[in-house]
Amino acid sequence: MEVKIENLKKQFGQVIGVKDLDLNVRDGEFVALLGPSGCGKTTTLLMLAGIYKPTDGTIRFGDRVVNQVQPRDRNIGMVFQSYALYPHMTVFGNISYPLKLKKVPKQEQMERVERVANTMGIGGLLDRRPGQLSGGQQQRVALGRALVKEPDILLFDEPLSNLDARLRLTMRSEIKQLQNRLGITAIYVTHDQVEAMTMADRIAVMNQGVLQAFDTPEDLYDRPKTLFVAGFVGNPPMNFADVSVMAEHGGFTARNESIRLQVPAERGQKAAAAGKVRMGIRPEDIHVVDEGDAVTAEVVIVEPLGRDAMLDVRFGSDQFLVLADPQKHIRAGDQVKLHFDMDSVQFFDLQSERSLLWN
Amino acid sequence: MTQPTTTLDDQFTAAESRTRRSRKKSLSSNMAAYGFLAPAGFLVITFFLVPVVIIFYLSMTNLSTSNFTTDLSAMQFVGLENFRILFNDQFAAKIFFNTVFYVLVTLSLFNVTLALIVSLLSTHIERRAGFAFRAIWILPRITAATVYIMLWRRLAVEAPYGIINQVNTLLGQTTYNYLDARPWEFVIVVNGFIGVSFGMIIFTSAIESIPKDLLNASLVDGSTILQRIRYVILPLLRWPLLFVVTYQTLSLLTSFEQILLLTDGGPGLYATEVWSLTAYHRALSNYFGNAQWGYGSAFAVVLVIIGVVLAVIYMRVFRFNELVAEPKIEVL
Amino acid sequence: MAALAHSDDTPGVLDVHSLLRTIRNGLIVVVALSLIVVILTAFLRPLIASVKVDESVTTTLAQLVILVLPYIAYIAAGSAVRDQLSDHPLRAVLTALLATLVLFVVISIGHFVFHLGPFVPTSSLEMTFTEAEGGALVESLVPGGVAEEAGVQVGDLITAVRRDPVTSGTLSALIARSAEDSPFRLRIVRGGEETQLTVRTVLAGNDDLGKLLPGLVVALIVTAVAIFWPGQWTPYVILLAILLPLLIGYFWLIIATFSYRTEGLIPLDGQGNVGGWTLNNWNFLFGADISGLNVSIWQITLNSLIIAVAMMVIVLLVSSMAGYALSRMNFAGRRAFLSFTLVLHGFPAVTLLIPIFFVMSYLGKVPLVGEFIGFNKPVGISLVMVAFELPLGVWLMKGFFDNIPWDIERSALIDGASRWRTYWEILLPQIRPGILALGIFAFIGGWNAFLIPQTYSTGAGTINLPVFLRQLINETAPVNWNQVAAVGMFQLIPVFIIFIFAQEYLLNIYAGGTKGSS
Repeated sequence: MEVKIENLKKQFGQVIGVKDLDLNVRDGEFVALLGPSGCGKTTTLLMLAGIYKPTDGTIRFGDRVVNQVQPRDRNIGMVFQSYALYPHMTVFGNISYPLKLKKVPKQEQMERVERVANTMGIGGLLDRRPGQLSGGQQQRVALGRALVKEPDILLFDEPLSNLDARLRLTMRSEIKQLQNRLGITAIYVTHDQVEAMTMADRIAVMNQGVLQAFDTPEDLYDRPKTLFVAGFVGNPPMNFADVSVMAEHGGFTARNESIRLQVPAERGQKAAAAGKVRMGIRPEDIHVVDEGDAVTAEVVIVEPLGRDAMLDVRFGSDQFLVLADPQKHIRAGDQVKLHFDMDSVQFFDLQSERSLLWN
Repeated sequence: MTQPTTTLDDQFTAAESRTRRSRKKSLSSNMAAYGFLAPAGFLVITFFLVPVVIIFYLSMTNLSTSNFTTDLSAMQFVGLENFRILFNDQFAAKIFFNTVFYVLVTLSLFNVTLALIVSLLSTHIERRAGFAFRAIWILPRITAATVYIMLWRRLAVEAPYGIINQVNTLLGQTTYNYLDARPWEFVIVVNGFIGVSFGMIIFTSAIESIPKDLLNASLVDGSTILQRIRYVILPLLRWPLLFVVTYQTLSLLTSFEQILLLTDGGPGLYATEVWSLTAYHRALSNYFGNAQWGYGSAFAVVLVIIGVVLAVIYMRVFRFNELVAEPKIEVL
Repeated sequence: MAALAHSDDTPGVLDVHSLLRTIRNGLIVVVALSLIVVILTAFLRPLIASVKVDESVTTTLAQLVILVLPYIAYIAAGSAVRDQLSDHPLRAVLTALLATLVLFVVISIGHFVFHLGPFVPTSSLEMTFTEAEGGALVESLVPGGVAEEAGVQVGDLITAVRRDPVTSGTLSALIARSAEDSPFRLRIVRGGEETQLTVRTVLAGNDDLGKLLPGLVVALIVTAVAIFWPGQWTPYVILLAILLPLLIGYFWLIIATFSYRTEGLIPLDGQGNVGGWTLNNWNFLFGADISGLNVSIWQITLNSLIIAVAMMVIVLLVSSMAGYALSRMNFAGRRAFLSFTLVLHGFPAVTLLIPIFFVMSYLGKVPLVGEFIGFNKPVGISLVMVAFELPLGVWLMKGFFDNIPWDIERSALIDGASRWRTYWEILLPQIRPGILALGIFAFIGGWNAFLIPQTYSTGAGTINLPVFLRQLINETAPVNWNQVAAVGMFQLIPVFIIFIFAQEYLLNIYAGGTKGSS
């Protein structure tokens, strides 16, 4: 089922929840709505579910405008952050409830619940109540309840954020595989970018009710269209410094009072026209080197991350995060030499905060 | 159903659009809610709104046993005559001051002071014991008024049956029927013992909601238990105190069941008669032979007006903020 | 604290500073309580009298304060030395006892000056007598006193008052117990002849200093107890003391129910001997007359039950529906409805009893349903009480619904449920504690209902237990109190059972669902 959102707007009193949202989700696609809390992603999801009514704009499922359609007539399944299992019903009661409401015959109810439960690996728990289940099991029951009516669209509202880290990893791949196999269109709200990057076909990044970008994970990471997306996607986050990009000696250099870096011609050209710009570079694109044409910086803090050591370094007025080999035993107060891998540098306009490279 | 708002950032326009929207909300969405409200609505209209209208009308008629009818149009309308009589009635004056006396004394001694003492003491002892003591205070409220009054009468009656007089006899003191000799004392104590639990519960929950860290900090800072009560706990009880005072004033002003059963306004002429009991006596209890519906209603109307005014104030002061939260489901 | 304050003390048997502080503590109590007495008698009493309220509450309160004043002062003195007890036990005790002595003198002077305590004027016949064979022998007479005026002479033997034989002890007690100006018809044997004289008592001042001694002993004992009293018991003792009248009342009910008759708290049999335990008071359960009235107790119980159950069911259904709409639904006028519910919650419904009488009589005329809901019908009576409890119920239910996570209801809607089914199948089961609390509250309210059934029902067909009890108590014929007590106990049993199992719910709900207000 295709989902087309046009010019969608939601207002609560004087507070704007979602502003002029346009989004097309293809049939069978897995789309993540990603953003910090309060960005309007859950509001959008609840409008898709029919719990909230849009203030303006249209939502289409396929060709049908569903703005006025009741939740029960939308044929959707939804999994909530709190799972929202009915505590007074057994697992069977929970999963069969949508079927009971559709007046599916008892026998068929039993078969379908059993099938779904077996798929989810909770076949043995049907007589239990939600209170007797672990978090992961509750999660599976919630998923089973959403799937049992064979919905056209699956909605997820941060379904994994109440699980512990290990379980989250397992459920992540399970949900992704299941969605792939069933081919149901899925819209998945999360504030965890790793979740979004690993699960989604495309990610819609939202901030303060406005859609910032809607792209594949690779594009979001390598070719961020706005400063917000560049800063939000990626962990540890991208480093920024304000520089001027100038044509010099047949090449381009980016410089401010403390750094002076050669920029590849293709990127430099686009940035040079703008004068003063904001340069962005990811921590993994900066390397600690022993010698060569490098920037010298002072290490302020060292955070061991296991595989890497994260250095908080300072040069001039800029402060950057850099990943280094922990074997080098760098300590706070050391002076290090940094080499910038300028092939993946980003440039943004200071006023519009839009990328100078990808628009 | 939804109207596009033109200027999103203008708060004024947004608020305006919201009211416009709720007015144009689809009929079916309102009907469902009204369906849920209908039974309550019927009862409220039948037993609150209609009676309020009727009592204002009744208070302006001279309806009594001699010209009794339930047909409103057949009643003789006398305007404000009942109120004129009421203002010149010397017994009404006495009853008015009786009521003020009764409410002030009961409220200050029992509903506030004793309630505060009980909640302070019961929160400073072992938790379960404290709970048990508070639970016992509920007994007067859940005991039927007739049974409850029977118990107090047994305390008060003359020797050799009365329990207090039994003690008096043992101590060589004078014995007498306390309901005749000390009627107000008993009216106040009997109602006060019922009234303690309300304030007690409110104060206790307020005390228990004070963060434990704050209480411990004050002890660490060197205060004694009594100083902590004086300087930490009592100042935090200011709002609950105000709440209990306003709420209980109204309930003491209007409830008369216990007085009716204990002294019935006696002994003697109007010794313990209070305003609400008078309204009842005049209109509904035929002991004086002639029920005066109109005049009794005039008494009741005074209480109705006080009740409405205090209830509105009470709503504004204490509860309005609770109304703000809006439902988070917008369908149906 | 204590250690710090006393670290610079000089060792010795007595510390003057500490003694003065202890006396000061006691005096503060004396002054403060005396002030209360003055305010009560000199200010409040005349003020209240000026608006013609016949009351003795101020007098009673003043008497109570005067009675407890000395003891509180001694306790204050005793408590003041408690923090020195561990360091200098002997000095602490001596300080407190000495302070008590000073306080006792001060208080006694006060008593003497104002004719209080041991010097309070008592009823007197203005003569003294001693124990003698066959009665009380007159020993001396106050010159010009009532006894002398009436013709009593020294050497008279008082044998009886009216027909009751007296000894010197019983005669003193009789005099002390009598009110002012009560007549005593004394039977006197004078020189072998018997005469009768009537003497009226007077209030005579009392200045016998010898009466002070027992008071001093008590004062010292109270102080000593206060010094060594385990302080953690104090709250328990006070809490129990306040509850005492109530506990005694229920205690009497239980005793009376199972005994032939009672005097005070003492069960007696027909001959006036202690004992007299019996189950006969409960015979009314098997159709026996109660206090001479022949009624069917089970019919009355059934009426009570109908009112209670009808009330419980209707209150629960109606207020949960309204509470659900107000809590969970968005509709035009929601805020207005909420404000209105709140105003109703504060409004005293009982002021509307008069017009509701008319409403009931109109409802009785409605075809078909009028048979059930009008005047003098249990269901109609229940409906009035339902309406009275509705504002509380709706507000309470709204609060309970407010606490259910929204996701559960959203989930049910997405699963395909209508709002009604969501309310009935999903939300109601989640607020079971609320349903239970309100249900118990409504049931007890209906079971105990007196005023409204009394007002809107006539005749034996519809009365309930509390109304029936009132009829028993108001009987003009002699009332068998122990049988009436049994009926009261019978009415109370279900309430006691609920009380035992549901105290927590009751404590929550009897504040009117006001948890959030603080």
